[in-house]
Amino acid sequence: MTIDACVHPLCAHKDDLRRYMGEPWRSRSFPGPERYFYPVPTGEYVSEEGEAAGNTVAADPAKLSREIFGQEGVDKAILVPLTRGVLPDLDQSMAICRATNDWLADQWLGRSEGGRFVGTIRVDPREPEQAVAEIKRWASHPDIVQIAVPLQAQRPYGNRDYLPVWQAAAEHGLPVLIQSDGGSSIDYWPSPVGYYKLFLEYATLYPINFSYHLVSLIAEGVFDRLKNFKVIFGDGGADLLAPLIWRVDKDWRPTRSETPWNSQMPSHYVREHVRFLSSRFEGPQDDHDWKTWLAVSEMSELTLFASKFPMWQYDAPSSAFKSLGDKERHAILETNASEFYGLA
Amino acid sequence: MDEIVKELVEVCAVDELGPGQSRIVDINNRSIGVFNVSGNFFALANLCPHAGGPLCRGQVTGTSVADKPYAVSWQRTGEILRCPWHSWEFDIATGKTLTDPTRSVRTFKTVVKDGHLYIETGASR
Repeated sequence: MTIDACVHPLCAHKDDLRRYMGEPWRSRSFPGPERYFYPVPTGEYVSEEGEAAGNTVAADPAKLSREIFGQEGVDKAILVPLTRGVLPDLDQSMAICRATNDWLADQWLGRSEGGRFVGTIRVDPREPEQAVAEIKRWASHPDIVQIAVPLQAQRPYGNRDYLPVWQAAAEHGLPVLIQSDGGSSIDYWPSPVGYYKLFLEYATLYPINFSYHLVSLIAEGVFDRLKNFKVIFGDGGADLLAPLIWRVDKDWRPTRSETPWNSQMPSHYVREHVRFLSSRFEGPQDDHDWKTWLAVSEMSELTLFASKFPMWQYDAPSSAFKSLGDKERHAILETNASEFYGLA
Repeated sequence: MDEIVKELVEVCAVDELGPGQSRIVDINNRSIGVFNVSGNFFALANLCPHAGGPLCRGQVTGTSVADKPYAVSWQRTGEILRCPWHSWEFDIATGKTLTDPTRSVRTFKTVVKDGHLYIETGASR
């Protein structure tokens, strides 16, 4: 069995979402899903011609189903809608989240695809009251398996302002996917030292932002408080985790009195509460070093396969991770996800 | 064959080391810290198991405790020793770090006899 932990379904036209909005939002303008800063130089989507173009396929459940389940042999795909848009208005941002969730359930879930598509709801965690209400609205939907929030944030996610949102997620057994997406809804400096110029810098550096959220969640005791709280970092990072978590462990002993609620070494929270999508999985150039690297990094235990169809970094499921051993490949393509999400 | 024998070495008269006080003594070329915690005497090697710092020259203090995030209280005043080099915290009574997994500093048995305080230490002979 193959589980694809991240496929992005698209609206054929961004204005299609308006059908799922009431006024005043229905007639108010909002931005489209294309990346605002750092557009991909070769195009946002996998770019076969005409009807096979990624953004055309990903806007049609039947076509996407043929592509992912038919051609690529995936058995279950987690749909992650995007809510990109530079939107300072929190209420409009949540209105877009709600419309996106209704659109997903209406157009993509519970249809003829045999339950092979399962879904993700969007919330804007800057607005805990509405975000919690939205989580409750979907909690009993049989095909909703997680909540997605942007990697972009005004404050690291361990901050107590977000706690009600994580609490609602944990109560309903829904993991939280943290993935770069404009729905933050304001885009901030992409690095703590300011703006970089090129997409290469964005692609290389932006995912590192996971580290701020991870250390914040550990240090502020969110995992101590919420035993069922699970987090997936959608832009990868398993390959960067080892030196980071060694450092946190090292610094934790001398500073423990500052965080007395941490009941265990910081690294221990990761295995229980945290996973990474496979979009980054870097390692040594020499193949002989990979066995050691996998053992040291624990990447194959912490990574869930994600094709990211139809985005530019698409990784075709049928050929993914072929260079790894059967055990590691099986874990990444199936059991890591089935266990973490509790998918049958 | 070497034989380890227990040896009692006098530190001081009991009334020279009051509650909350400590001193460092050299016994058989080994630096040992002796602490009076509320009338109970404890002796620890003056050598932090982390990086070899002079542990017993650190601050005798308490520690913060929290049942849940942010609900911090200050407890165990006078029972905790903090290494002056990297701030690792040790329970003076057991020699163990407060962090889990624990690490331990070597401890020595103390004996009070006839108004005098002794450390029981092993010596090869």
